[in-house]
Amino acid sequence: MARHDSRVGYGLPTLLAVGLHVLVVVMSVITLPSREPEATSSSVVQATLVSTETTTDQALRAEEARARAAQRQADEEAAAAEADAAAAAERQQAEAEAAQRQAEQQAEREAQQQAREQERREAEAEAQRRAEEAERQAQLRQEQEASAEAERQRQEQQRREAEQQREAEAAERQRQEEEARRQAEQEAEAERQRQAEQEAERQRQAEQEAEAERQRQAEEEARRQAEQEAEAERQRQAEEEARRQAEQEAERQRQEAARAAAEAASDIDSLIAGEQESIANARQAEQAANSFQNLVRNAVEQAWIIPAGSASGLEATLQLDLLPTGELIGARIVSSSGDGAFDRSVIQAVERASPFREMRQLPPAAQSQFRQFNLRFRPGDVR
Amino acid sequence: MNDSMSIPHLIMSASTVVQLVMLLLTVGSIASWIVIFQRTFVMRRAKRAHLAFEERFWSGVDLNELYRETPSEQETNGAEHVFRAGFREFNRLLPKTRSPQAILDGVQRSMRVAWSREEERLNLHLVFLATVASASPYIGLFGTVWGIMGSFQSLSMAQQATLATVAPWIAEALIATAMGLFAAIPAVIFYNRLSSESGKLLGKYEDFAEEFHSILHRNLQGRGDSDAG
Repeated sequence: MARHDSRVGYGLPTLLAVGLHVLVVVMSVITLPSREPEATSSSVVQATLVSTETTTDQALRAEEARARAAQRQADEEAAAAEADAAAAAERQQAEAEAAQRQAEQQAEREAQQQAREQERREAEAEAQRRAEEAERQAQLRQEQEASAEAERQRQEQQRREAEQQREAEAAERQRQEEEARRQAEQEAEAERQRQAEQEAERQRQAEQEAEAERQRQAEEEARRQAEQEAEAERQRQAEEEARRQAEQEAERQRQEAARAAAEAASDIDSLIAGEQESIANARQAEQAANSFQNLVRNAVEQAWIIPAGSASGLEATLQLDLLPTGELIGARIVSSSGDGAFDRSVIQAVERASPFREMRQLPPAAQSQFRQFNLRFRPGDVR
Repeated sequence: MNDSMSIPHLIMSASTVVQLVMLLLTVGSIASWIVIFQRTFVMRRAKRAHLAFEERFWSGVDLNELYRETPSEQETNGAEHVFRAGFREFNRLLPKTRSPQAILDGVQRSMRVAWSREEERLNLHLVFLATVASASPYIGLFGTVWGIMGSFQSLSMAQQATLATVAPWIAEALIATAMGLFAAIPAVIFYNRLSSESGKLLGKYEDFAEEFHSILHRNLQGRGDSDAG
């Protein structure tokens, strides 16, 4: 009996109770921080950058490019029916004159059509120029960063393969034209030479780029002229178009040939590997730019108060001018939504979201790229 | 965002009143758990002791022997306490009076006193548990209301009221309610459980007291008869 009579003390219960609470606290401290916050993907508004290339709308761009190629081909076929070989010597001079004359005339007459076309072309040219610039920048950086990221390279490889396939299809179509093929072969040989010496290639590429741009401008003007003026002009333009097309095709074929040669010979293979690396680096720079775009977009989305009662289908495009420090110099509406209150809210959102301090962390090349860019605003489904 | 919304961070950044409320609730929760553990041990021990004592009592052992087995100065619990109180009173009264009724009255009274002491012993601190169970949700609610008041005051100073400015305040305020419930829920459950257990035990003691009383009564009847005869 005596053993039952000892009283129950408070020491053990206290210990147990405190231990229990400590356990609860420790569990709450340990488990809660490790829990991942839910991704806040359902953004109320979608403001997308339209001026610069992003990783997400590459597929879209590819489609656009394909559509453009088809259109160009149709144009070319129509022109080819009428086309005869025009004198090549006169061409450059006539183009230069026509370009100046037509630029003034056309701007007044076909304002809408021209604007649309010009914008498209400018966007294209800008994208190409920017890609070129990024590539050059990346090559400089390549010497510092020896290690290329394998993952990104693989992705790049895939993308290129897809591109290659597309190009092959286009090439199949184009191969029917004998003239084009002949020129292609010539160019392919030139390319092979060019790849042998990389330094020369860079310079010539730059020159070619400049020339291509000049030619494209001239060609554009010429085409516009052709619609109004004499048939001879149109013929020349068609011829020009054909030549440009052929050149592009030649380039594609050249690349293809180079790749085939690389498989055959190991020294060319190393050259191609170097090129791939440089493209991978260019892509890295592009991704840094993308992250900045996302930052800007998020900041603006946060600050955007959509005016009550605005229709849901509105869309406005805004051009931003930034200082290298990320401060906003000016914002103006490029294409209005038609609703004044909506446009004002968009400008206010950008002003409220500025300055974009993340600009400072960008590499200088990307900074200059973002000095001026466009933002497109449209409210999402959710209000 | 994740860092600023973690519970320790929220508690640390709460206002003083809310922190005091949280402290009070933590202390209440710890104390109620101490009571829960202590009472659980006491109940378990008392139940075991009661079973052992009943087994001995009904094994046919002589009551005088049973009484002498435990030293009188040592405190006894439960049915044994009731038995000892009753038997001591019986032994004291037996030489003094010849009236069986007076003896039985005295025994019953002393047993009732012992029983009520047992009741007090078993129900010790259970009232505290009941208090924590009923009061801590209100205390937590008070902390929450205070915290939300603070959040609205700060909101009035903000130029732009977004969810992000209010959310930490409200989360922090709601912690107080959560802590109140955390303290109250075990207290309610264990209060009910422990009080029903103690009620059951006390009922058993009462039954035992009645049985013992009837045994004494039987003995006195026999003696009264022999005296009379």
